[in-house]
Amino acid sequence: MVIFGVLRSGLYSLAAVGLALSVGVIGIVNFAHGEFLMLGAFLGYWLFASYGVDPLLAIPAGAVGIFALGAAAYRSAIRRVLRAPELNQMLLTFGLSIFFQNLAIILWSGDPRVATVSYKAAAVSVGPLVVGLPQLVVFVLAMTLTLALYAVLGRTRIGKAMRAVAQNRLGASLVGIEVDRVYLLAFGVSTALAGMAGLMITLQLSVSPFMGLLYTLKAFAIIVIAGLGNINGVIYASLVLGLSEAFVEFYVPGGGGWAEGVFFLLILLVLILRPRGLFR
Amino acid sequence: MTSRVALRWVASAAVLAAAVAFPFWASRAEPYYLQIAINVVIFAVLALSWDLLARTGQLSLAHAAFYGLGAYTSALLTLRSGLPVPAGILLGGLLAVVVAGGLGILTLRLRGIYFAIATLAFSETLRVTTNQLRFTGAATGLVVPPLLGGGRVAQYLVILGILLLVIAISAFVNRSRWRYAVTAVRANDEVAATMGVNVVQVKVAAFMVSAFFAGITGAYYGHVFLFISPIEVYSLAVSVGALVAPIFGGLYTTAGPVIGAAVLRVGEEILRTTIRSGYLIIYGLILAVVILYMPRGLAGVWDALWRRRA
Amino acid sequence: MSLLRLQKLTKTFGGLVAVADLELAVEEGEILAMIGPNGAGKSTTFNLISGLLAPDEGTIVFDGRDVTGLPPNVRAHLGIGRTFQVMQPFHDMTVRENVMVGELFGHSVPKTLRAAQRDAEEICRLVGLEHLMGRDVLGLGVADLKRLEIARALATHPRLLLLDEVMAGLTPTEAQQAIAVIRAIRDRGVTVLLIDHVMSSVRDLAERVAVLNFGRKIAEGTFEQVARDPAVIEAYLGVEGGTAH
Repeated sequence: MVIFGVLRSGLYSLAAVGLALSVGVIGIVNFAHGEFLMLGAFLGYWLFASYGVDPLLAIPAGAVGIFALGAAAYRSAIRRVLRAPELNQMLLTFGLSIFFQNLAIILWSGDPRVATVSYKAAAVSVGPLVVGLPQLVVFVLAMTLTLALYAVLGRTRIGKAMRAVAQNRLGASLVGIEVDRVYLLAFGVSTALAGMAGLMITLQLSVSPFMGLLYTLKAFAIIVIAGLGNINGVIYASLVLGLSEAFVEFYVPGGGGWAEGVFFLLILLVLILRPRGLFR
Repeated sequence: MTSRVALRWVASAAVLAAAVAFPFWASRAEPYYLQIAINVVIFAVLALSWDLLARTGQLSLAHAAFYGLGAYTSALLTLRSGLPVPAGILLGGLLAVVVAGGLGILTLRLRGIYFAIATLAFSETLRVTTNQLRFTGAATGLVVPPLLGGGRVAQYLVILGILLLVIAISAFVNRSRWRYAVTAVRANDEVAATMGVNVVQVKVAAFMVSAFFAGITGAYYGHVFLFISPIEVYSLAVSVGALVAPIFGGLYTTAGPVIGAAVLRVGEEILRTTIRSGYLIIYGLILAVVILYMPRGLAGVWDALWRRRA
Repeated sequence: MSLLRLQKLTKTFGGLVAVADLELAVEEGEILAMIGPNGAGKSTTFNLISGLLAPDEGTIVFDGRDVTGLPPNVRAHLGIGRTFQVMQPFHDMTVRENVMVGELFGHSVPKTLRAAQRDAEEICRLVGLEHLMGRDVLGLGVADLKRLEIARALATHPRLLLLDEVMAGLTPTEAQQAIAVIRAIRDRGVTVLLIDHVMSSVRDLAERVAVLNFGRKIAEGTFEQVARDPAVIEAYLGVEGGTAH
């Protein structure tokens, strides 16, 4: 059970860290975050169903594509509400989320799709346990990407620029950082990360237009547990979510359905009891 | 009395008269229209009751939660205990009020998006739970006894009456000292508190009143359309609709949410014939467009037109 | 009996001690200034007095009554009013309406809308906002926003008025006007406790001064006494006697 939860948390980290980036650097909670994940997933499905491309191989292209989409969304809409009251920001991204979700329904119908790659059922022995190969691969990949993001933020110039802007927008612009460009990059990266997570999901699970909201909420649960703006805490928070869900699935009768409610409960509990998050 | 105020009175009276006379015509001429009208009025009640809460700065995504709570409470009570339908509807509303009181107190310290997410989490938890439990019929839903023997005209008049009640409450809030209280709380609840406003009372009361109307409307829905299921009544579409209509029509006003609801619901009906599912996409677009270009909604446009006239 | 008495007042945030064992008394009818370097705990003290924060230890006694556990709106009814350093007028309302909020809800006995409006307009006249009463608060200048802050606080007809850095950002002329207004307020029977950094204004206005540092009171007396106190000078790192800003 623990392995299960840990493996899943890898994917969750990737899905959530983009949102944490957007909240931390730009200051906007992107309600449509999950929709970018969903679009990435559909992209993966389409490439697989039409051209037989393994979703994992499609990740670089998918990342670029979703980045472009995110950048376009930033340019055309998001940028305009950054100075507006928080209400407007929330509603705009919420509107985008409804828009994308229903666009997907119109284009591809509401039915879930499954991409059956050849090694989907393959399993691998790790010590005394047997784990699914796709799950393991996804875990490794997702964690690598998440850690890569941390490295970028910590070591590269652009990463430092993002951290500077996150801490003090005015100060950063005063030292010559082009804040708008940083925001554009941050938002694009944030959506690209979501898209990549989506592609990884295609490998294991079904794809449907409704998955977006689910992952937005899970990502939100994770960043709330980590503490808003705390990008570093995302890995630990993902572990909390992954393990809690696994726990419920294994030990609560009829667990599968209830596990869907776990992150809701976590959101409620954390926001009401420790709004600053658990890992500050 | 200025010409604008006079115009408003005349228009309101005319609309009211038409609204009351409508079902008698429609039931004979076009019964389908009567069904749509019932939907429109339901939507208007949801929109205006959401707006009442929004006036205190609490942007709830839990409207569907209370809608569903009302629906399920009334359905279960009338089905399993033989309670008469009107009593069931009332009790559905009351349960929603009690739950809202609790949730309101729990979320008092949450602002803006945290509040929205917490309420969304609450609503979705209810949906998931109801979907799981055998007691509530799980995913298959419940068949519900009819209101007033299924007579559409009478049913329409009931929901119209409910709408008129919400309108009266909304108008009262906007014309009395309470307008000052809610606006101050919305703008800055800490400052409002130091000026003597009982912020806790204002916020929780707004939550409870808003939930009451969502609850009785949910119950009403069940008894009119005779079937409820979690995916329908706890659907995010309910909460989304309840917030898009006031934003589109004009937040914090009485006419805005009602007119917004009417326009959107009728539009939705027209769209439904062309786009089978996913017509909700329009709501997303409208929301984005309004936020970007018309922040005060239709009411803002209306105001601007009047000012240009002057 | 002092109008306001703070006894052993303590407040910590995480590991940071903001206010430590603070003892302060404010006499009825006086103008008392609280000064001290940044981070000395002055704003926290205001938040504790007005009820926006609860102390970890200690009591706040107002007019002989222990108000320590009471919510801010009840304290407003009892007669504690305050302005805020970061000015946040109520948007979507005019200047007059902003003040009316206090008139309508700041008293134990509710007023009618008409009476509240009349009284709000009188307060606007007192602080010099008469010509702006019907204007939306959007776009008001710094000096007028300060007047609005004071007007809003006065609308609850307080017996004790807490002024939070009212002088910051004012030109010398505006500062003189502000001093005149504050004196007029005191002459109407309101006790004033103010925080400020603009020493020239503090010197002109305050009858007594209390100096805070690291959450404790380190000196108390007239402006001249306090300015010569070695502990005070040390707290300000050698700034002599208070320079005008």
